[in-house]
This record gives sequence, C-alpha cells and structure tokens, in this order.
Amino acid sequence: MAEENLLTDEFLRQLINVGEVDIVVGLSTHNNAKTIGPVIGAIQAGILKCFPRERVVIINADGGSQDDTTELVQNASIDDLRRDYKVHALRTLHCISVRYGRIPDPGIALQTILAGADLLRAKTCVIISPDSTTIEPDWLQRLAGPSYYDNLDLVCPIYRRQRFEGALVRDLLYPMTRSIYGSRIREPYGSEFAVSGRLIADFLSNGIMNQDWGRMGPEISITILALTGKYRVCQSFLGAKRASSRGHDVVAAVRRTVGALFASLDGNFPFWSTITGSQPVPTLGTATELTQESSRINRKHLLETFASGVAQLGEVLSSILSLPLLSELQRIAALGVDEFDYPAELWTRTVFEFAASYHKSTINRDHIIQALVPLYRGRSLTFLIENRNGSEQDIETREESLCADFERQKPYLLEIWADRK
Amino acid sequence: MSLKLEAGWYKHAIIYQVHVRTFVDANGDGIGDFAGLAQRLDYLQELGVNAVWLMPFFPSPLRDDGYDISDYRSVHPSYGTLDDFKNFLSIAHDRGIRVIIEMVLNHTSDQHPWFQESRSSQDNPKRDWYVWSDIDTKYRGTRIIFLDTEMSNWAWDPISKSYYWHRFFSHQPDLNYDNPMVREEMWQVMKFWLELGVDGFRLDAVPYLIEREGTNCENLPETHAIIRDLRKRVDEQFPGVMLLAEANQWPADLRPYFGDGDEFHMAFHFPLMPRMFMGVRLEDRKPITEILQQTPEIPASCQWCLFLRNHDELTLEMVTDIERDYMYDIYAGDKAMRLNLGIRRRLAPLLDNDRRRIELMNGMLMSLPGTPIIYYGDEIGMGDNIYLGDRSGVRTPMQWSGGWNGGFSTADPERLYSPPILNPVYGYQAVNVLSQKRTPHSLMSWMQHIIAIRRSNPVFGSGSIEFLYPANHRILAYVRQLGKETILVVNNLSSAAQAVELDLRHYKGNILIEMFGRNIFPRIGDLPYLLTMGPYQFFWFRLRKI
Repeated sequence: MAEENLLTDEFLRQLINVGEVDIVVGLSTHNNAKTIGPVIGAIQAGILKCFPRERVVIINADGGSQDDTTELVQNASIDDLRRDYKVHALRTLHCISVRYGRIPDPGIALQTILAGADLLRAKTCVIISPDSTTIEPDWLQRLAGPSYYDNLDLVCPIYRRQRFEGALVRDLLYPMTRSIYGSRIREPYGSEFAVSGRLIADFLSNGIMNQDWGRMGPEISITILALTGKYRVCQSFLGAKRASSRGHDVVAAVRRTVGALFASLDGNFPFWSTITGSQPVPTLGTATELTQESSRINRKHLLETFASGVAQLGEVLSSILSLPLLSELQRIAALGVDEFDYPAELWTRTVFEFAASYHKSTINRDHIIQALVPLYRGRSLTFLIENRNGSEQDIETREESLCADFERQKPYLLEIWADRK
Repeated sequence: MSLKLEAGWYKHAIIYQVHVRTFVDANGDGIGDFAGLAQRLDYLQELGVNAVWLMPFFPSPLRDDGYDISDYRSVHPSYGTLDDFKNFLSIAHDRGIRVIIEMVLNHTSDQHPWFQESRSSQDNPKRDWYVWSDIDTKYRGTRIIFLDTEMSNWAWDPISKSYYWHRFFSHQPDLNYDNPMVREEMWQVMKFWLELGVDGFRLDAVPYLIEREGTNCENLPETHAIIRDLRKRVDEQFPGVMLLAEANQWPADLRPYFGDGDEFHMAFHFPLMPRMFMGVRLEDRKPITEILQQTPEIPASCQWCLFLRNHDELTLEMVTDIERDYMYDIYAGDKAMRLNLGIRRRLAPLLDNDRRRIELMNGMLMSLPGTPIIYYGDEIGMGDNIYLGDRSGVRTPMQWSGGWNGGFSTADPERLYSPPILNPVYGYQAVNVLSQKRTPHSLMSWMQHIIAIRRSNPVFGSGSIEFLYPANHRILAYVRQLGKETILVVNNLSSAAQAVELDLRHYKGNILIEMFGRNIFPRIGDLPYLLTMGPYQFFWFRLRKI
C-alpha cells in the first residue's frame, strides 16, 4: 500500500495514464545527466529486446536535478507522438519523472518508485543505478527475468569487479549479512536489483521506512526483509560494474549500509539469533568474477587513517570495544606497512563488538558508525597486502575464510548482545 | 432497375460482404443461390446496409471458391441463372441496396476456354493471352503468395511443354496484360455486367497484372496505366460506378492506386485491420495511430475500405515479424488456426466471444475514416470451423434460425455445401438471426443501431480526422469533422476502467451529446476534459455550441 502523502498529485496523474503494468524499471537520480544517456538507452534497448510484449514503465524519482537528467529520461518514451522509425516497439513505453523533493534522499526515491510500482500492480520492479554506465541491455533480462518468469521475490546482482574493488561489501556487508541472516548473498546492497510485487507490498505496508534501518538503508532493508520474511531470493550475474566516478563518501556509505544492517538487528533478533551457518542462494551465471586489473590504492594512506583513527578515537573506541580487542588494535596500529596485519578473526570480533554496542547504544549510534570507518580502512589494507599477488582463486578462498570466521564467531555476538555494558 | 448513382455514394455506404453460396438456399439443393439471396434482402435492409459485395458467382471448377473463373459472362449453375441474378439486382435496387460484384482480372481458371486454347499449341491465337516461358527462372524477385501450397510462381504445362506464370494457385494461370486483346476483352467483360446494372466492382489481386524482369512484379507503372484506362472507360460510359482495389500492400504502396483520383475510388486498408486487433489486445492505441499516421492523404473523391474480417484469413502480410509472432501467439494459439501468413478465424471467436470487444471493434470500424464492410454472419457473432481446411471454416452456412440446417436450406444436412457450425457456443441453435431479432439487446440489434447512427451523419463517411493524443495510451480518441459538424470519438482499448483527460480547448464552449443515448455531457471549458470509461467502452459525441 502506498502511503498517502508520499506521492504528488502530478505523479499520480502520470501513473493513471500509465495504467497497470507488468514491469517497472526504477531510476533514482540527482544531476546524472552525464551518465544517464547510455543507461537509459540500454534500459530501453533491454526492454525492447527482452520484454517486447510486456507492459513496462520507467519511473524516474529525481531529487531536484539542476541539469537535463529528467528530460533525458522522459525522452526515452516510445509512443505515437514521438515517431522514431529507428525504434520499433510493439507497444507504448512510458518514461515518467517525478521530483519528490529538493534534497536528494535515496530512501524517499526508492519508496516513491516502489509505491508507483505497487499502485500499477507491477509483478516486478527493477532498480537501476543512473551511474551504471557499463549496463548492457541483457541486464534487464537477468534482473527482471527470474522475478517475472520464475516468481523470485528478490534478485540481487553479482558484478564482475576489479580485484580490489568493493571492499566494504567484501570485508563487511557480505560476511556479516551471511552470518547473521544465513544466506550467501554476495551483494546484499547492490545498486541494481529486482523485487517482486508482493515483496514491494510487504515492504511498503509493514512500516520499514518508519524504522531506523529502513530510513538509513532502504536498499539493504529490502534484502533483509526478503530474508527475514522467507521470500524467494536469488542472485544473477550482470557483468562489469565500474565504480561511480562521483566522489565517494565512505562515511555516508558505511552509515547507509553498515548502519542499516546494525540497526536491523534490533527488531529481527528472534529471527537471526537462531540461525547458525549459512545457505547458498540460487545463482544465475557465475557466482563471482574478478578481473586482474586493479586500481592504484595508497596503502600508506590507509595505514595512516587506521593508526590515527585508533589513536584519536581512543575514548570512543573504549566505549565500544572490549579492552583486549582495543589493546590489540593499538598494537597493530603501531606496525609499519610491511608488517601490518589485521587478521580476519580480529576483524570479525571488531565488527561484532561494534554491532553489540550499536544495539546497546553505548554512545551515540552515529558516532559508533563513524568510528568503524578507520578500522575498516585497516582491514582493507590487510586485504591488499594479503592479495597483492593473489589469484582470483586465492582471493575467493580468503573471502570464504573470512565468512567462515563470521559464522564461527556468531555465538560471540549473541553472548555480548545482551551482556555487554 | 438502376439506382441513381450519386457521385461519392460509396463513401456513405455500409457494405455487406456475402457469398451467394453461403447465404440462403432457395431450391433445396444444399447450396445458396440468387433466389435465396433475393428473398433475404429485407434482412439486409433491416440491418441497415446499403451495399452488397458479392464474392465470385461465375462458372468455375471451384477449386478456389470461385476465384478460379471459367466463364466471365454467366452465373454458376449452382447459384441459379443470369435471370436470377438480374432479378436479385432489381430487388436490391428497389430496396436501395447497391450491388458490387467481384472481378478477378489477374487470372482465370485453367479450365477457362481461353487457357485451354492457349495451351493447345504455341501457334494458337490465344497463346499470348497468358504468360508462358520455356524456363522457370524468370521474375525471380517475385514472392510466392500461397506459401503453404505453392513452391514456385511457375507451373509446368505438359500439354504445351512450357511453363506458365501464376501468382496464386497453379490452377489459376495469370492473364497477360501486355496483350491489348486481353485488356480489351476484360473491359468487355466488365461492360457486360455494368450494362446489367451493377454498381461497382471489387477488382481482385490488382497489383499483379504486369510482370517485368528485375522487379518484384507488383505495383508496376504499367499496371497503373491499365487501371487508369479501365477507370476512364467506366467514367465515360457508366458514371458513378465504383471501383474497389484489392491490393494487400503498405499504405505508401497503396496510395498510387488512387492516382490523381483517376484510378480506384476505394481500396482496402489491409495494414490497419490486424493493428486494430493488436491494439485491443495490447490495450495500446500505438499500433492503430502509427499505421494511420503512415497512411497518406488520398484524393477527395477517394475512400478507404475498412473491414474487421472477410472471407480470407486475417492477413498478417502487412505487419512486422515481431507483430506477426505476437498475433499468432495471441489469436492463433492452435496452429490449425494459421494459414499462409494469416489466421483463419471469424470475428467473434477471435475476440473470445466478448461482446464488449466485438462492439468496440465495430465501433472503431464504423468511426474511423473509411467505408465499413461487414462480413456476413459477423453481425450476429457467428463462429468458425478451423478444421474444414483452407478458408472454408469462415465460409459456413448463414445461421438464420435454430431449426433445420439453421434455416439455411431444406436439404438433407449431409447435402449442404459445407457443414454448418454446430458447437454449443457458436452453433446455429445458439447464434441465429431469428433469436437475435427477438432480443432488443442482441448483437444484431446493436449492429442495427450503430449502423443507423453511422448513416445518420455524413461526418463518418466524408469527414476529416484529427487524433487526440491523451497521455493515457489505452485511450484512442479522434475528432471527425465535416463542415460545421464535429464528432468526438473516444475508445477505451483496455479491459479495465480508465480515466482520461482530453485536451479539447479548441472546442471550448461546446457541449457533448452522446450519440447512442443522446445524453448531454458537460460543456467543454479551459481545463482538460475528464472522462471515465468502462472496460472496452467507447463514446461517440456530437459537439454542439448552444
């Protein structure tokens, strides 16, 4: 059910004109004119190629773009007013834009798109990032297909990544989500995914967006809802995903993902506390693929960030971490780049102690999240060092080992969950 | 008796297509005839049609349902005599019903005496009346039309030991229109029937009259020259007579058949018909508006002929591959329904016997620019029999009543030219004229009503069209205009209720009068005009400034 005041009258008018659809493709934008062209082109081509008979609408929720983003999206419409003989389509394709506010808010954007999909009774909603310039038309099939044809409720992406890309997912989000919720979803926070109509209805009706974790990370909250609600989940290999060229605010990203994940633990304790180990989820295409190319990363900078964080945030960290763990971090902070090692077992305990402190709100929750960032930098440094000359298989083996650590130490999280002061 | 042929009468005609064989059998031999047809002209008059198009009724071996003619100046004995035809023509005219007959110009039967003479020897005077060749590789760029049955456009004649050209079945050799004697003879054939009083011809397969190497042998300039010559003779000697082209072509290729108003008066709009079916199923006006956008202007004296179904398969030649696949999947799930590049089904079964969709489709047929043709039996929702082979399944006996043979014939059922439709949904006991006449809300009664409304206003026949493009793509809306008369047509192509806002500011100040119930709708103002429409509903509004 859509919330009453979420959708503007203008948006509703556009939805009325679109009518019932089979598939919604959602784009959350804000000043994406530089990248949206090829993205919307690939989406249009994907619809014509993969779903020529289905009723599809592209819904663009825009956070107040000052450039041509919305016009570029709307121009991808195929109808009888714009005659384009190069594009042959069986039916009309509406591309509609709604400006939900003057300040970009990914949560409201996603909620707007999903509410639109819900009102249009879409069987499947595919979310695509406007920055995904590597998108190919087949992504539509790979994301929407399992949901539309096979009734899967959530289709998460798998990307071909450069070896050292996606550290946050690899070091924290994947292993933590896997150990907590018991499903091996490689990209629980993908910028592309597909969701079924019934999961959308559940998401909109059960008030997740009114809870901290929903507000903080609407995308990951859909994944968590799918797992806790025992919806049918799969993952689908898409292909190369290039990191956004836009500035990357790590703190914001950690807040939006790890923060939401931590926050989700409160209400879902009865569910996750009983889960041990993890289960694979159905995967279409390859489960993981890394390219040998790697971007240049300043290891010294990572170490400095870690060391200065441990030093400067000593008081904060002492409110979050157990004394032995903090002492160990202080010890490794003193190491040079060549000897530096932030082992998986220690990292796992760090994350779990942060999660427990977050639960207990030992200090301001946002400060807890921010304090995790320099430590995450340290863990990333270890990953770089360990895998400097590693093959794809080596990296995968270490990743699996890290996940095993998270699963093995989950009882520790349960132990400190209630006890920790 | 002849009806006065006012110029442009065909623009305001409602044409009823019927095969004599299928309509009524007066002499009890199991085959419909002219005597029977004449008896039932009152039915057609009641229905409101004012023109009848007769499929071929000439002597023929009937290997292609009469399109294989063996004598152009007579009537097939099964259907009666020439006098029976004259009597029918006279009664039709008395009732204000014009008669259009079929003229198969392109080819004859291989049983026609002309062909028999032609094949008899290379020196026969009629040898050059057909297209002969020692090799079967000429005109290679020419497509084969009957893909399911023919491998080549050439057939070997063992008698004259050479190949003859045929665009349709191999038993239908093409006449050679490069021969002036053929052209003259065919004009004499037309003249024969015109002197009897027929009001028009439907000229069959006109794009294929001439063959030229290096072309696809369709729509050639020489073909147009022949048409212009025939038209000139018609206008000079039989003014008011109408020529209707059967040319299954894209609109741009069809346009030349109107010439400068000096070739055909009318031509079938073949590409529109499948797109109407597509639009209703997709619930999207795009296929319809797009093909009409691509339809060129035609001379003022000319007119398109629109139809939903006819005696042939629902042709899918003038659609793209993706559209054809869609149409097959949606409308011909059973492969037995497919024939050549088309679907051999009647209107009601195609539309799942959904009364609302049948009405909507007829509503569009009657309100889009052109002259509508109703295929016999579709006005009562007759069904088909896809197991009868070729196109016979849509040519079954007319269903007049629930009695013996559906009132078609008093013959033993086994003797009928075709088994009647018997199934419980579409059979004559369920679907027939008699029972529908007794029901004011039957499909037939509704058809009477819409035909009367269509005929009450010349805008539909002669008016211009301007499409409105409401943002709701499930709504097909257009304005028909002629002089001061304006009609707004709004069709909901969707199976669900729809809201639509129409930009009618150009007509500000007018009130809308719904033409079926004559109810008044609110006056048009500055704001978008909001309509809510039920599933498959359509409105015809007359605009009045009061």
